Amino acid sequence: MKWYQTNKPAVLLIPALLFLLMIVYSLVMAFAESIRSPEGWTWQYYADLFRQSQLIESLGYSLLITVVSVFFSVLIGWGVVRWFSSFIDEPAGKWLVWIPMLFPHFVWGYFILLLLGQSGLVSSFLYQAGWLSSREAFPVFTQDPYGIGIIITYLWKEIPFVILMLLPAYLQLPKQYGEVISVLGGGRKEWFKTVEWPWVQPVIVEITLILTAFIFTAYEVPALLGISYPQMTAVLAYEWFYGAAWEERSYAFGLLCIIAFILGAIALLSFTLMNRRRWLLSKSSHQY
Amino acid sequence: MKKWIFYVSAFLLFFIPAVLLIVKSFTPVWRWGEPFTFDWTLRGWETFLLDSRIFEAMMISLFIALVVTFMNLFAGIPAGKALSHSEFKGKSALEVLVVLPLFLPAMAAAVGLHITMIRLGLANSWLGVAIVHLVPTIPYTIKVMKSGYDRLNPDMLQQGKMLGAGSWHVFRTIELPMLMPSIRSAVFLTVTISMSQYVLTAIIGGGNVITLPIIYYPFLQSVDDTVMAAFSVAFAILPVLAVLFVELAATILAGRFSMSKRGAL
Repeated sequence: MKWYQTNKPAVLLIPALLFLLMIVYSLVMAFAESIRSPEGWTWQYYADLFRQSQLIESLGYSLLITVVSVFFSVLIGWGVVRWFSSFIDEPAGKWLVWIPMLFPHFVWGYFILLLLGQSGLVSSFLYQAGWLSSREAFPVFTQDPYGIGIIITYLWKEIPFVILMLLPAYLQLPKQYGEVISVLGGGRKEWFKTVEWPWVQPVIVEITLILTAFIFTAYEVPALLGISYPQMTAVLAYEWFYGAAWEERSYAFGLLCIIAFILGAIALLSFTLMNRRRWLLSKSSHQY
Repeated sequence: MKKWIFYVSAFLLFFIPAVLLIVKSFTPVWRWGEPFTFDWTLRGWETFLLDSRIFEAMMISLFIALVVTFMNLFAGIPAGKALSHSEFKGKSALEVLVVLPLFLPAMAAAVGLHITMIRLGLANSWLGVAIVHLVPTIPYTIKVMKSGYDRLNPDMLQQGKMLGAGSWHVFRTIELPMLMPSIRSAVFLTVTISMSQYVLTAIIGGGNVITLPIIYYPFLQSVDDTVMAAFSVAFAILPVLAVLFVELAATILAGRFSMSKRGAL
């Protein structure tokens, strides 16, 4: 009993630590697979990986879609929270924002297809209204070479996520500092610089990192709304994983390991650069 | 004015799409260029619910989601308590580590676990799929439960103990009822994330564990948007069912059921 009392946090953390162990183990295994060949250990797959023009194209394409989606999701979501936080906190507001969170990404992707496809509802409606001469006159928004459909899906799905993640930080902003600032003769600019930004910055960094990792490596939406070339990285990795050739499987492992390594390094770096105590974990209340 | 702008745009962007999907699931297929018809039909839902494959997939998805949810709560509630109510060396590092999986590609973890799952006989089984669904869910649950415990004053628990209650009794009667808002959020998140997994389920389930997304995906090629809409709406209904289930379990566990019958509450 005494041991239990002094080691209580350790005991409580056992399941969570097992989970972390599983993550570490899975990444080590993926890495082992990426350097294993029938002839023994090799770095050859990594060397070959970047000679694949398909991969270079895919990385550029994925990066572009990810950056655009993340940037606008965070920017718009942040703007919405700044302007409307008090209404979003009302039960009705919270429920409205929750709605897209209830649907999986691919369902929302299907909805975009249903709505904005060339034979979709909007196109059909515009034709009936006489504003569109033919189906082909409707711009190609889905399964298009620029990933517009993918970006629209992500914006629609992630803006609510950004709102719900940022909301607690805004509701807990120390408003009394505002009075201090105005007494000292400061304006909105000082308020933003000295109170608001330092307060919400860790949350914004965290959301940005989560969304970047998620969008860059998600399979579902690009598989549905993308085209066959260029493909987003996860689609390529999935195809390689199920590829018939041995090297292709190893490419899939290698590619995923590189991405995991880069994203993990960026995340750890941002954690270290930011004051850990100000990190979101201690602040957000996640009250949806 | 501001309030008005927010409600109108949220209504248009978030509520109308959901209503549109529901309406679509009760109306016949709309052909392009023809006026929208509103001859209400149950065909979409009939096809969806009477197909035994889909019905089984729905049950398996719900079952897996509930198993994932309970594993999440099992790991998340104690971890949240430890991270919130106690101080120990390396706590902030640990806080970073438990959320780190969110910043990594879940697919990397899935392909890494695949071979081990085969060796353990967990590949192609619902348990294997449930375990891989922990990867994208547990970090959120720990975060949510930690902030839940942040709002729960440790003195409350101390008081229960002083009055002679054991840890389990304190948990059932004080922590659980007070944590319900956080538990609800965690359950909602976990179930929707678990329901959203196509690629993780496909890799570990190997085509043997047929969850709803596994059927939905090939179905997307079909042109029958009445059935597809019913299918889509079902994805939003299941999390609600799961929350009701957890709510019921918590009520029974907290012993509130019998108390409210006796009029004690």
